[in-house]
Amino acid sequence: MNPFEQVREGLAAFLAKEWGATVEVENLSIASAGARRRNVLFDALRDGERIPLVATIIPNAAVQIMPIEVEASHLRFAEAAGMPAPHVHAVCEDASFVGGPFFVTTRVAGETIPRQVLRLLEKDPALGPRLARQCGEALARLHAADPARAHPRIALAGSDPIEATLRAVEALVRELLQPSPAFTLALRALERERPPPPARLAVVHGDFRNGNLIVGPDGLRAALDWEICHVGDPMEDLGWLCQRMWRFRNDALEVGGFGARADLAAGYEAAGGRFEPVRFHWWKTMSTLRWGLGLAGQAKAHLDGSVPSIVMAASGRRVAELEWDVLMLLRRSFAP
Amino acid sequence: MQDRPTASELLASIADLLEQELLAATQGPLQHAARVAGSLCRILEREARLGAAQEAREIEVLAGVLGEPAGGRDALTLSETLVHRLDTGGDAALERRAWPALVEILRGKLAIAKPGHDAWDFTAELE
Repeated sequence: MNPFEQVREGLAAFLAKEWGATVEVENLSIASAGARRRNVLFDALRDGERIPLVATIIPNAAVQIMPIEVEASHLRFAEAAGMPAPHVHAVCEDASFVGGPFFVTTRVAGETIPRQVLRLLEKDPALGPRLARQCGEALARLHAADPARAHPRIALAGSDPIEATLRAVEALVRELLQPSPAFTLALRALERERPPPPARLAVVHGDFRNGNLIVGPDGLRAALDWEICHVGDPMEDLGWLCQRMWRFRNDALEVGGFGARADLAAGYEAAGGRFEPVRFHWWKTMSTLRWGLGLAGQAKAHLDGSVPSIVMAASGRRVAELEWDVLMLLRRSFAP
Repeated sequence: MQDRPTASELLASIADLLEQELLAATQGPLQHAARVAGSLCRILEREARLGAAQEAREIEVLAGVLGEPAGGRDALTLSETLVHRLDTGGDAALERRAWPALVEILRGKLAIAKPGHDAWDFTAELE
């Protein structure tokens, strides 16, 4: 049996067991196949009803950042908080069905590829501001939920996520294959200008950005990719969303290349959040530094043979872009 | 001296091959890889033309920040020295000298790695 057929039969068998019904699986297609996860789209047929679903499969349990049931619990937490996230139908830790642990969610229609998302905006100029506002509202709802109700194994950044992030980033700067004076200088400024610990900790998505959002003509439909969700500073999510790399050349639109910061902040505050501009700027700068280190890490993974790939190799030549961005964001610190 | 085509000319030809014929003949992840490889050839083409001058200027600028002679030094060692001195901390004058120097170095690097990236300077976001 080919692997595709095996996944189809495995999904049907698992859902039949889970739902206590006869289930057929049709229209299977692979939406993405990365080293760490595969997203498989399919229709489940139960008692004549056609249900559009997605299976998120961890092909190799050794590479998963968090156990599959923990990630699935974050989606459920978000949905309960009123943030648009795909509904989780079932979680399976048994690797025998499809070759790895997986969870099954509702398939939400819409665009996820950043350039396609930005193309929707060309058709409707009102969509960008609306989407930025909806992102603010969605994040405020997530951040308002009590972290004590999250999965007990959710990643914690301690009582001061600012300090924890500085120490983690400092270690990454030291481990760079090549010394980076720009990142070192940035780290010194971020250390000096660190905000106090946040007034309250929240569950943060961790990778909320253009590319991890499902967007339709009506706006935000769901946030995807919850694998680095953790307890931290709420402004971290807003800063990450607004770094330049997720604007895909629409540099003047700070929020994902589609909206203005004022719309994001207005949505965040309308849904009960408190937008803190100084803390936001710190996290945006920190996010830029972190992504630069992430790209350097990808080049390292190519060079040491752990993930040999021309795409990972190319990331090394993008680090200078992030060095530029981070120095510009810190201009006031060094060139008043 | 090698014969024509030069390294830069050859890399431009490889980029054309990858971005046109090979891109059209592939799909999915392989198509993405061909696109990335084409873009890397463009970077290497610019590096073949501009790299030596960029690195010489980087050495000069770094040595200037450190107050050391540039002669006989290389960019890696000077960068290591600067990182070490920034790490030691507390030298505000060094940091103020380093910022515009690193901006200049990055303009040179970006002219090779991503021309135009330095056109956006975040002024609107710092208001």
